[in-house]
Amino acid sequence: MISRRALELSTAILTGSFGAAVVVSSLDNGIGWSSAGVDAGTFPFLTGVIIVLGSLYNLVRGALPAATLASVPVAITPTELRRLASLFVPAAIFVAAIPLLGMYLASAIYIFAVLAIPRHQSMPRALAMAAATALALYVVFERMFQVTLPHGALAAAFGF
Amino acid sequence: MDNLQELLHGFTIAVTVPHLVLMVIGVLLGILVGVLPGLGAPNGVSLLLPLTFGMQPVSAIILLSSMYWGALFGGSVTSILFNIPGEPSSVATTFDGYPMARDGRPTTALATAFGSAAFGALVGVILITFLASWVAQVALAFGPPEYFAVYFLAFASFVGMGGAAPIKTVVALAIGFAIAAIGIDTVSGSVRLTMGVDELVKGVSFVVAVMGLFGIGELLVAVEEEVHARAVSSKIDWGEVFRAVARLPRHGVALLRSAAIGCWMGITPGGPTAASFMSYGIARRFSRRGRHFGTGEVEGIISPETADHAAGTSALLPMLSLGIPGSATAAVMMGGLMIWGLNPGPMLFVDQKDFVWGLIASMYVGNIVAVALVLLTVPVFAALMRIPFVIIAPLIVIICVVGAYSVSNSYLDVVMMLGFGIVGYLFKKLFYPLAPLVLAIVIGDKAEDAFRQSMLMSKGSLGIFFANRLVTCLVVAGIALLLLPLVLQLTRIWRKPTSPAHETTSQEKVII
Amino acid sequence: MRSTSALLLSAAAVVLAGTMPASAAWQPQKPIEFVATAGPGGGTDNLARAVQNIITKYKLTEQPIVVVNKGGGSGAEGYVYGKVSAGDPYKVIFGTSNAWQQPLVSKVAFNYTDLTPIAAMAQDEFLLWVKQDAPYKTAGDYLKAAASSEFKMGGAQSKDTDEVLTRMIEKTGHVKLTYIPFKSGAEAAVQLAGGHIDSHVNNPSESLGQWRGGTQRPLCAFSPKRLPQGPKITATEGWSDVPTCVEQGLDIKQYEQPRTVWLPGKVTPDQAAFYVDLMKKVQATPEWKDYIEKTSQVDTFLTGGDFDKFIKEDLEHLKQVASEQGWLIK
Repeated sequence: MISRRALELSTAILTGSFGAAVVVSSLDNGIGWSSAGVDAGTFPFLTGVIIVLGSLYNLVRGALPAATLASVPVAITPTELRRLASLFVPAAIFVAAIPLLGMYLASAIYIFAVLAIPRHQSMPRALAMAAATALALYVVFERMFQVTLPHGALAAAFGF
Repeated sequence: MDNLQELLHGFTIAVTVPHLVLMVIGVLLGILVGVLPGLGAPNGVSLLLPLTFGMQPVSAIILLSSMYWGALFGGSVTSILFNIPGEPSSVATTFDGYPMARDGRPTTALATAFGSAAFGALVGVILITFLASWVAQVALAFGPPEYFAVYFLAFASFVGMGGAAPIKTVVALAIGFAIAAIGIDTVSGSVRLTMGVDELVKGVSFVVAVMGLFGIGELLVAVEEEVHARAVSSKIDWGEVFRAVARLPRHGVALLRSAAIGCWMGITPGGPTAASFMSYGIARRFSRRGRHFGTGEVEGIISPETADHAAGTSALLPMLSLGIPGSATAAVMMGGLMIWGLNPGPMLFVDQKDFVWGLIASMYVGNIVAVALVLLTVPVFAALMRIPFVIIAPLIVIICVVGAYSVSNSYLDVVMMLGFGIVGYLFKKLFYPLAPLVLAIVIGDKAEDAFRQSMLMSKGSLGIFFANRLVTCLVVAGIALLLLPLVLQLTRIWRKPTSPAHETTSQEKVII
Repeated sequence: MRSTSALLLSAAAVVLAGTMPASAAWQPQKPIEFVATAGPGGGTDNLARAVQNIITKYKLTEQPIVVVNKGGGSGAEGYVYGKVSAGDPYKVIFGTSNAWQQPLVSKVAFNYTDLTPIAAMAQDEFLLWVKQDAPYKTAGDYLKAAASSEFKMGGAQSKDTDEVLTRMIEKTGHVKLTYIPFKSGAEAAVQLAGGHIDSHVNNPSESLGQWRGGTQRPLCAFSPKRLPQGPKITATEGWSDVPTCVEQGLDIKQYEQPRTVWLPGKVTPDQAAFYVDLMKKVQATPEWKDYIEKTSQVDTFLTGGDFDKFIKEDLEHLKQVASEQGWLIK
């Protein structure tokens, strides 16, 4: 269970640290405003400062027991979290597998896994859908659009 | 009338068999991406873009703009029938469309939406027809300070009228700005904000951000809420279709007002999403039946739909004549124009008459094709929605992954897209508005370039933003919009000394 | 050290290949990727696609060729891609003098020594453009007017070829110019048409439309002799009617931008030789002549030692301008 407050706080920390990173790296470019124009780092620096300040405000507001937040004590229930994970975790594994397996193999396995493992579809149907997806990708991208999708390290090892 | 003649010439280009076929294909594909949750017109157009590289520019833009119309209509279908906005600009349509459909009147709701959408689009096209050459002439008056002023106006209208928590809007906007600044800076030529990742020198593609924020983000929100494709009757009662459309003129005031808001937001790069929300909010404030909004009011459907389509259509005007995209989709199309070897901007109207007027004529025809098709295909797409979410979801993930990769054949983009998905989910969940974020990614660096170019010209003096009437008007309007929420807040406090706390809650609901 | 020796090796290979072009031992076994370090529609992209078309038409290689655009970061994206693809002979990078100029003035994660030079295939000319209704008819008039008021010069990108040329004009013409960088030459052209800047130094192909449309006109060409005779652009004038800048008292004899072709680093001499030979074959076709004429470029072919010498000289020149302007990165 993740409370609305925890979610607000972590998001504010996330945006705040991005802002801090922006501030730090924009200093490399130099900040300044003179008759020679505006330096490259000036605006990133300012946006970084705004992000940090805004995030601090959101952080404080998230931490305070404000009326609006009290009305939604729980942002994500355990059931919802499970549903989220069931979508995101396979997707993340899919993306992580692309450099090794290549786009076609990875997407076929991904489709097969998310359909067959939770038994949403029967084995043969899931297999057929997985094959169809990879084939459709190949025909549309590699053949029609001439866009080479990654073939993966595995395929390269076999000389493709 | 010169323009009428050009338009007639345009019709001879647009109304040919191959182009009509392209329109039908484009509209159908557009309806598809509009209907599918997680995909929208920007995704659809950017996915289709590579296909158009070998085409004639006129044919290519007809295909893409038809897809755009289709997506605008398609978005309304799912908003009304399933309370799933296919794209951000049709979120406002769900407020009254869905209750009406649940009430057993889906046909009325759909027909009303399509009828008013067509009206909005028509007003937008007429505006383009008669103002195009004028805008093209005025366009040359736009130097760096004027460009900056237009961008400033757009940003101000988002912060001022978005309706979201102001600080969250500012944070979203600033993050968008920072993302836009990543990569090589035009004005100084130096590398910025790559944070040690060498590949980031190319910058963050807007397409990658949108696929993550909207595609994956919306998917995560949908799976969490476990959206069921509820079986609302989607049978079209043809008699009711005509009756609903025939009732539209009774709401003439709402139609005209919404069309005006839409056109204005389309021309200034505000975009359809902001237009539909603004229009809905204003209608709720001014309608006699405003209190009933949210329970299936006809005007609650008319207002966002008309404004959405008027904005969507007129957004193409600044893109063509100024090279400033008025909406996310227009931004993608503008990229397309450059790929086809056309330079959006005033010269387009001089050098590429056939292209411009062929496109404008195709807007009339394309919208008619779209309305006809969308009514015919509603049952088909309603059936599509019965495909279980568990099958649709992984397919959308694959589409987003492949789409992000193919932007510049980069695996890093895929990883970033997934990251944007998490950000999109968090932001939606916590009512951070996504539209300003996307707006800033699209035009943030352009605004910065324009500002710094102006500063080079003026030797660091801000006076250049008040140097002539045009730029002064734009800047003053922007400042006024920026201060508007503050003024409203003050008047509210002045009227009611004990400001009610629940105001913010109701506000938080009306966010993209 | 290693990259330098790789460079020398490949340069030697190139020289060898030049003497016996037919005996290239290496042949490609899979599809070849042409990486254009510019967005679609830009000059570099046009070159890559023109070469692709010619190779495909004459079947100069058995393998299919795909053009990929990696124009992010003023081309840095494409060069970095070439750097990380070291040893892969199936990626051919098309660029400009950017390859050695950019690392000098901005912190990009590559240098031209990370790549294997193949050839410089064409040279793009530069012209001085003013608004159609500007009062000055010659470069001399322009300089006279610029001396009394500070002119605004537009151009594509910052610390790049356009700005280098602008600084050279400043020095030679004894004037002060405010350089306003835009995203592309096309954008600068629109700004000139609107009268927001006073001049720009676009390539012929970048402003051809505007000259024809009567919004701006070229004053002079930064070239030792007049541009070749071609079809008329306006009713009365063509490229060859534009005087050279030297003729008009602006003493910049030559300023050109080469279109360059590279392979990733660490490829074998055989592989480099194959591509040198391939580009030579491309250049011998009538389609190539047609492309050169349409884009108003100058046909050149520098490879091996000549190309190397060219880079070194250009680099010396740029270093001088860059250090005068304080552009060199620390």
